[in-house]
Amino acid sequence: MDFYLGLAQIIGIHTLLGLSAYCVLLTGQVSLAQAGFFAIGAYVAAMLTVLAEWPLIAALLAAALIAGTVACAVGFPALRVKGLMLVVATIAFGEAVRLFFFNFDYQVTKGNIRVGPLGGEGFRQIRYFPEHGWSTLEVVLFVWTVVTLIMVALWWMDQSRAGAVLRAVGEDEVAAQSTGINITAVKVSAMTVGGVIAGAGGGIFAHYTTHIEHGQFGVVLATFAIAYPILGGLSNVFGTLLAVLFIQGFLIEGLRFLGDWRNLLFGALILLAMNIRPRGLLDAGAIAALRHLTYRKEATGA
Amino acid sequence: MRSLTVAIAALLASAALFASESALAQERTVKITGFGAKSGVVRVFGVNSEAALKAAAEEINNAGGVTLGDGTKAKIVIEFLDDRCNAEEGISVIRRIASTDAFVAVGPTCSNVAESLFGILQKKVGDSSDSGLQFPIIADVAAKGGLAKISEWAFRNVPSEFEMYKSLFAWLKTQHPDLKTIYGGVEKDFAHSNATFGVMKEQAALNGFQLVGQSEWLLADTTFSTQVREMKRADADIVAISAHPFTTCGVLKEMERQSVKPKLLIGLTSSSSIETLQGCAKQAEGIIIPTSFAPVTPEAKMAAERVAKFGGSADLHSAAAYEIMFILKDVIEAQKIMAKPDTVAADRVKMREGLAALKETKGLLGKVRRTPDREAIKPFLYVHAKDGSWQVLYNPAS
Amino acid sequence: MELLDLIDTVQSIADGVLFGATYAMLGIGFTLVFGVMHKINLAYAAASIGAAYASLLILAGVNAPAAVVFLLAALAGGVLGGIVYVVCFRFIPLANPLATLMSTVGLLLLIDEIIVHETQGVPLAYPALFSDVIVRVGPFGLRGDLMFVFALGCISMVVLLLLLYRTKLGLATRAVSQQPTAAQLCGISVDRVNGLTFVVTGVVGGVAGAMTGAAIGMLSPLLSLPLTVKGLIVTVIGGLGSIPGAIIAGLLVGGFENVFQFFRGVSERDLYVMLLLFAFLVFRPGGMFQPSSARD
Repeated sequence: MDFYLGLAQIIGIHTLLGLSAYCVLLTGQVSLAQAGFFAIGAYVAAMLTVLAEWPLIAALLAAALIAGTVACAVGFPALRVKGLMLVVATIAFGEAVRLFFFNFDYQVTKGNIRVGPLGGEGFRQIRYFPEHGWSTLEVVLFVWTVVTLIMVALWWMDQSRAGAVLRAVGEDEVAAQSTGINITAVKVSAMTVGGVIAGAGGGIFAHYTTHIEHGQFGVVLATFAIAYPILGGLSNVFGTLLAVLFIQGFLIEGLRFLGDWRNLLFGALILLAMNIRPRGLLDAGAIAALRHLTYRKEATGA
Repeated sequence: MRSLTVAIAALLASAALFASESALAQERTVKITGFGAKSGVVRVFGVNSEAALKAAAEEINNAGGVTLGDGTKAKIVIEFLDDRCNAEEGISVIRRIASTDAFVAVGPTCSNVAESLFGILQKKVGDSSDSGLQFPIIADVAAKGGLAKISEWAFRNVPSEFEMYKSLFAWLKTQHPDLKTIYGGVEKDFAHSNATFGVMKEQAALNGFQLVGQSEWLLADTTFSTQVREMKRADADIVAISAHPFTTCGVLKEMERQSVKPKLLIGLTSSSSIETLQGCAKQAEGIIIPTSFAPVTPEAKMAAERVAKFGGSADLHSAAAYEIMFILKDVIEAQKIMAKPDTVAADRVKMREGLAALKETKGLLGKVRRTPDREAIKPFLYVHAKDGSWQVLYNPAS
Repeated sequence: MELLDLIDTVQSIADGVLFGATYAMLGIGFTLVFGVMHKINLAYAAASIGAAYASLLILAGVNAPAAVVFLLAALAGGVLGGIVYVVCFRFIPLANPLATLMSTVGLLLLIDEIIVHETQGVPLAYPALFSDVIVRVGPFGLRGDLMFVFALGCISMVVLLLLLYRTKLGLATRAVSQQPTAAQLCGISVDRVNGLTFVVTGVVGGVAGAMTGAAIGMLSPLLSLPLTVKGLIVTVIGGLGSIPGAIIAGLLVGGFENVFQFFRGVSERDLYVMLLLFAFLVFRPGGMFQPSSARD
């Protein structure tokens, strides 16, 4: 049972990572910087709970806020570049964050040991959950409460005018601008919201793995971050969730029985998925089909 | 008449079947799961560990298997899971293992995975306020210093680099009293290399060598001209490189290019493998590395052959896995582990107690001492690269 | 500053610039794919390294002269380029750039895993040409093999520019990347042209991978991600679509890397390289040589 609960925790954390990229992708910006915000959230939250002994929720809020502020600061220069240049710029930002933490030392003596981030060695003993006696189930509920809140918020935003505005900017900036939409405000807000979500996700991640180091927040994680919304489809938040389930649940854990073949199939299946469903697993077509099914059932039911 | 023959034949056949079935029913199996990196640059470690575990298990099974708490003999079955050198997956893997009837797991390969894994374990046995996992893990490869301290459920059978380099520098001082200066090179972003470099520097200084400088690089670096030039300027007698095969070879090749020829070359324990020889046998000629495995004893030779049979090669890392199987066998028998589905929790506690109580275990090169913080002090020797293979330079035990 | 320090600094910069020749070679292919064809192919560096590996694995222990190995790498690169096109781009509609981005990521992971499975992740020694040649200029020594790589880069540039601007294939490539529909209306087979161009860039990539392996002396699966990032940085600094820009940017990045390392140490080096990139993006987003034909 613990194993499935643990898997649920991972899926929750990665969903947050995916949702942070989803937000930014909606406005047409391919941001590979989400891993950087994730890292900031992780280190800030961990330092607050371990060094300053803050309660978890306060630490997560602070981490999300700080990551969001950095994202806002990144959002402005990001406006100047488009397409591939933005991809490269965000990769560079993510790497810069990672390298910052590679060089970051801040240790404090607690009891008879030194705790805190130590450059390349990382930050160990982030044991908030076990030390406060949280069971695996309690952690899962906590993680999924956060995820659900954020998913509901994003879904509600999607249904409202804000969602339409975001997508309009993503589809065609010039047309959106000519209807009076403030492109700058929209893109920077999307980046900020993405940063907040990534910060929260990173904070939870740090407490999940109990040890964080710069190497975990590299280009690979950044690629996973955008992989989830692209694979899942940008029409709906549930697409991202589906993609996380597909990658973390099926490809990584489900295929474990295949042994060595699993790793080869990982890349191959992503390749296949993109060829078969280029708009994502849950694209607009799929959603329309689902809706058609439910309406038809209702019609025949009545 | 004919039907009677058929009836007797059927009876005999079913009797034979029944007999063989009950014989099969006597044969129990104990599954021991190893895990480690079987993808990415470190895949070779996982492959070797798996081969070593299987080779050891076969040897134990051929000798009759392991005796369980109720007196029955059981055969050991090895399963190996891939954690891809990734902390999250490592946690998933250990949770997966912990949700089965397993009472111990062997791994991981990567030190960063070990950090996370040992972190989710219960810190102190019996602490009911700590909801950490209560499951014993014994590491074969993860060699970063001081990891087993993290939890009382964490054990390691990895060599103590502190002891090895301490002994090496003392020996070098006696063998080469004319050598005075030492220059270091280190892979800064690999925790293991970084930590061992600290040990190298300390032990060199304690044995009277003067550190005249150090060069640094990153584990994926491809050009070392600046670092080797600094090395050339320092013109030290000894050069010590604390890095893994890829960059070690890169540095050695650059040293050849710039004609930097120190009188002695010292390397990192993990680089005493075929990787270094495959990458730069010519440039690595003469490099001295302390290691906790070489086929110098009859047991070690046999182990090397057996591991090769299973598709791996025996080096200091996989030898540790091989030894671990025998340690586990001894603990299972000493603690009378029942290995039944309803004794799982008790078995895990017994396994932990058994491992913690060990003062000494059988190693392939001799007796291995176990420390109170669950680490191992293994016998070691010095090898050097000669003519494209690793040969024993000096065995302190002899 | 002592004379020795000055000599060391200049030598360091020279070494960096020379090693940048490998980045330049990689950058040429990147800028063709990203700048001329407007396709984001994140699997490019992995395919280049894969081609270098293929050249070793095909020969499987046979001691062939280095030139043969390089040729094999180029051929393997071409084949891989074709595969990349068919598997990642052929069947995905043009309107889905994100899908092609992701499919190339999938292929990157697949190529890396295949390499790891074939070699167990262990680094393999790679042959080099002129590896023991050191050209002495006063107190400085310049690596002969890197100068050869630079020469090869210049030759490739000339060949590619000739291909792009003097042949029918080049014309077709430029037409297809600028206006695919109009090109089709002119009777150009978009699929065939794209496929052929990918094969050509694949050959360039194969040579780049071989040169990188020769310069380092070894191949390792560790290389694909850092080389992808470097290739992207070089492409952006040099200007998307500009081949001479890619070469100069490659040398620049190589030189600056060593400068940063010399003055600030290896831990902060890459941080400064990122800052260099940001500086370019802020002050000169088009790169150094923004060709009039390539607009992103």
